[in-house]
Amino acid sequence: MAGIKTLADLKRKQEEVKTQIDLRDKAENPGSQVQVKVAMATCGIASGAKNVMDFFVRELPKRGIGAVVTQTGCMGYCFAEPTVEITIPGKDPIVFGYVDPAKADEIIERYIKQGELVDGIIPQNYNTITNTD
Amino acid sequence: MVDLAMHMMDIVQNAVRANATKIDIGFLEYSRDATLTFSVNDNGSGMTPETVEKLEDPFFTTRTTRRVGLGVPFLKMSSEQAGGSLKVVSSPGVGTRIEAVYRTDNPDCLPLGDLAGYLVLLLVANPGIRFSFRYKMDENEFSLDTGEWTEQGITEFSKNEMAPAVKEYIHENLKELYKNRNTESYLC
Repeated sequence: MAGIKTLADLKRKQEEVKTQIDLRDKAENPGSQVQVKVAMATCGIASGAKNVMDFFVRELPKRGIGAVVTQTGCMGYCFAEPTVEITIPGKDPIVFGYVDPAKADEIIERYIKQGELVDGIIPQNYNTITNTD
Repeated sequence: MVDLAMHMMDIVQNAVRANATKIDIGFLEYSRDATLTFSVNDNGSGMTPETVEKLEDPFFTTRTTRRVGLGVPFLKMSSEQAGGSLKVVSSPGVGTRIEAVYRTDNPDCLPLGDLAGYLVLLLVANPGIRFSFRYKMDENEFSLDTGEWTEQGITEFSKNEMAPAVKEYIHENLKELYKNRNTESYLC
């Protein structure tokens, strides 16, 4: 496809993906979509949260998953950045730490698609890190 | 923070947290006086003069999840290291303007980084906020305004499916603009 340089190009592209968007919006109301929140405060940005968020934004529609990807501030787990909070409809939110694109892939394939828990979950009552080794 | 795009993401988060509905991001590059001015204007809750004074203190933050707030101090540090300065103007109920000046004839001037990529993520993550972005380089400029996009029928710009196209649009236009850059500038 030719490059997108003008607003007209952008509009044409919108027409192309419109059916995809409509299909998704009709099939699922927002309450039934998976919510992905990427922590994007100073600590998250500095540890590469952008690559992780890019990955979710790019891969979720490709894999046919209706999801809302947003960003949040620091959740207080600066040591484990980049962190991602995933909420599957009807389930409690789960926070994953030390997420990189490879981990994000595992989260999509195993947790979002199959509901299996994967390594890297930060328990809710986990407030401080006392011993690193 | 290794580039200006990261600072942009970081500083805009502050505006988002201040419940802004309109956020204007500006990059003004002037080769004549060798400066780059990065600014973020928002119509969020604003701050009292006392709060503004405390902003540069890394141990000041309004959040409760941790006790440090490094976004603004980092921006101040990186601009001053490049011979520039930081200015914050705010008034409660009106909004905030934060402005960082970098000297582009200083080798410590930060690289711009992936402005298009970060901007797209901001659009995707905050569909309720009207963003405008302007990059002015001497007499040339590239600007966008999501409010105008909506009026012109480009309404789905915050959808995941549109993200790659929007990114390409911004990236291509910035690339075109960057071609005009003075070769003496350290900005890249």
